[in-house]
Amino acid sequence: MPTNLIHPDDAALSAEPVVALATLVGATGSTSKKLGAKMIVGASGRLIGGVTIGGCVDAQVIEAADALVAGTADRRLLSISLDDDEAWEIGLTCGGTVDVLLQRVRPNDASDPVVAAHRRAAEMVERGESAVIVTPLDAGEMHTVGEDEAPDAAAGERVFLDRIAPPMTLVIVGAGHIAMSLTTLARELDMHTVIVDGRGRYATRERFPFADEIRVGMPSEIVATIRPTARVAVVLVAHDYKYDLPVLRALLRSPVGYLGMLGSKKRGAAVRDMLRGEGYTDDELARVHSPIGLDLGGRAPAEVALSILAEIVAVRYGKRA
Amino acid sequence: MLEHFRRPRNRGALDSPNAEAEGANPLCGDRLRVQLRVERGAVAEARFTADACAICVASASVLTEQIRGMSVCGAAEIGADWLYRALDGEPPSARRKCALLPLETLGRALADARKAEQ
Repeated sequence: MPTNLIHPDDAALSAEPVVALATLVGATGSTSKKLGAKMIVGASGRLIGGVTIGGCVDAQVIEAADALVAGTADRRLLSISLDDDEAWEIGLTCGGTVDVLLQRVRPNDASDPVVAAHRRAAEMVERGESAVIVTPLDAGEMHTVGEDEAPDAAAGERVFLDRIAPPMTLVIVGAGHIAMSLTTLARELDMHTVIVDGRGRYATRERFPFADEIRVGMPSEIVATIRPTARVAVVLVAHDYKYDLPVLRALLRSPVGYLGMLGSKKRGAAVRDMLRGEGYTDDELARVHSPIGLDLGGRAPAEVALSILAEIVAVRYGKRA
Repeated sequence: MLEHFRRPRNRGALDSPNAEAEGANPLCGDRLRVQLRVERGAVAEARFTADACAICVASASVLTEQIRGMSVCGAAEIGADWLYRALDGEPPSARRKCALLPLETLGRALADARKAEQ
């Protein structure tokens, strides 16, 4: 489940009878946080997330959130003006305003409209669908619709639409040391990690405590069962052609967002040559990032893992990798 | 051997098999499935799927080519000596298990076929 959604089963919130949910719903200038950034402020003082990179704005939001939690109002829309100093501090290039909506939420109450809307979004994301949380800014209840559905709002009513996409899936073929570092680092990027290997002694929960899924079997068949979308990245880190070739055959013509293979330029060229001989085109073969990862210079498993994830992030945002 | 790795015969899943077996070399990670369609006691079709090394793929290729049309009992008699000759020689000792995995897996698929026919 995305970490920025409120869910009744969330252990971190279960002790909080009431929280304030702060959502960045408007800004002039370019903010360092995207619209939709959320912060949860608990009655106990607990803070989860942030609507800016910190500083005075978050402090004002927390102060207002504390007041909302202690009071009886359901919501408050804060418009905070920034002078140039504050603007610099939170990453705006010049002064402007940020609009933050504060909502009072009972996180343990499944009938609370915010909890219900977030739960529906979480369920949709779990199914691999994108959800849109509709937040009326003036009145009306928060609700969730599918990406292609119209929000339930009257004409002229101001609403904030917050698209929640499923997390990126990182499929790691080869359960060696680089894979171990990948699952640890990918967790910080909110990626759903899947370890794939034909060797049950390598692909174990003991070696991969942070992997979301561990699947042992024929790697080319396992990867073929994962719905191939632009939000799926597949990395071949077994450094073994017995897995590289069949998995590439299974995925070269699929729409996965990233395909990378560990190995030298020479090894990459040899694998491409072999697949070219089987009828794969140069365009198809050019999709394989090999040598894998951005060239950061490191050779340790964690350094290689970092370079791989850096390349995946760069490709995801359309930067040259 | 390399010819059978680069252009393996009978690679890919078999439609409606009536016998099959899977095998793996747990440390090196070779994985293989052999599927058979047996009709009136003879192997009508044999195919394999593998994420495996060159020796293992070549071995599966020559075996599935050889047994087509043979009786189930006759196919079960194929041994390592024949296989090594078909692969142009015995692999180094550390790689023999790669060559033998398809033979062992085929043996279990044929046993499955015999059981199905009884």
